[in-house]
Amino acid sequence: MIEVVKKLEEFEGEVVKKFQDTRRRINSIDIDVHWYRRAFHAFGASLLFYYMLPNLDWINLLKFWVPPAIVVTAVVIEILRIKGKVSSDHFFGLRMYEKDRIGSYVFFAVAIIVLLRFFPQPIAIPCILCACLSDPIMGEVRHRFRMKYVYIFGFLVCMLFFSVAWYKADVRLLLLASFVGAFGAVIGETKKFWWLDDDFMIQMLPAILLGIIWIALPYIGFGDPGNSLDIIYPGIWPW
Amino acid sequence: MNKEKMSYMKTEIKNYDKIVRAELLFTPLLIALPLIIGVFLIYDWYVRGFSENNAAFTGQLMLGVIILIGNIVFDIPFIKSLVKSIIVLSKSKK
Repeated sequence: MIEVVKKLEEFEGEVVKKFQDTRRRINSIDIDVHWYRRAFHAFGASLLFYYMLPNLDWINLLKFWVPPAIVVTAVVIEILRIKGKVSSDHFFGLRMYEKDRIGSYVFFAVAIIVLLRFFPQPIAIPCILCACLSDPIMGEVRHRFRMKYVYIFGFLVCMLFFSVAWYKADVRLLLLASFVGAFGAVIGETKKFWWLDDDFMIQMLPAILLGIIWIALPYIGFGDPGNSLDIIYPGIWPW
Repeated sequence: MNKEKMSYMKTEIKNYDKIVRAELLFTPLLIALPLIIGVFLIYDWYVRGFSENNAAFTGQLMLGVIILIGNIVFDIPFIKSLVKSIIVLSKSKK
């Protein structure tokens, strides 16, 4: 009997030790989540590769079907997670406000697909770069400095992206697009709503504002730009 | 949004190892793909733009540089924190 009690005590000690050990490991990963999300954002910039894919029939077919299929899969998984059929524990790096709401990454992906599919390159490219690079940069500035620096720094970084994407345009149009785009991106990032993620807003708000300018271009004396402002050209690959 | 809502969700102990493993497996893609795309954009500028004296490809060079720098800036602290986590993990397993 005494031996059984001793064994039970030993077992209890082992369990407590293992629990404390695991707890320490969980605490250690906290810093990692933060940088994981930042790296994940920056990773999104690689999706610009979409524009480099050659214009071949089978690649065009893949370009048409694969991105929506990925997003639909993500939405289904998120719905299952919210309904409790898939545990939130299987998702790394979610924030508390995403517990009962669709995760930011789905908003991020939906906005990227809408931009790639429906907007011209000079609008889509800088908007995607704003979500992928400006958003984490503004997040880091918010961590370290006061809010007014977030607006200033974010505006300048976004303006850089828009001016790179519109560098082929007339100087007046370049300045207008850079200013309006950067303004939209900063507003989209800083105004947070529970139901609509900033990863979606930072892309769609400047895109809509620039879309209006794009449609108005022939009426304000710049003519229809067509594909003349494109900056990424489809690749010419052996296959 | 308040700080509590902005904090990260905690993982249940039983799933912790699986998640760290998934993160580690995903890391090479997360780091390598943007760097490859950035280098490829610069390479394409060199082959079709610089070599053939075609200024239309300058945008690809600028985008390539932005993607490379942007990713390196965030990848370095990410790798540092990952290495730190792995060290803590391996120490706690001993």
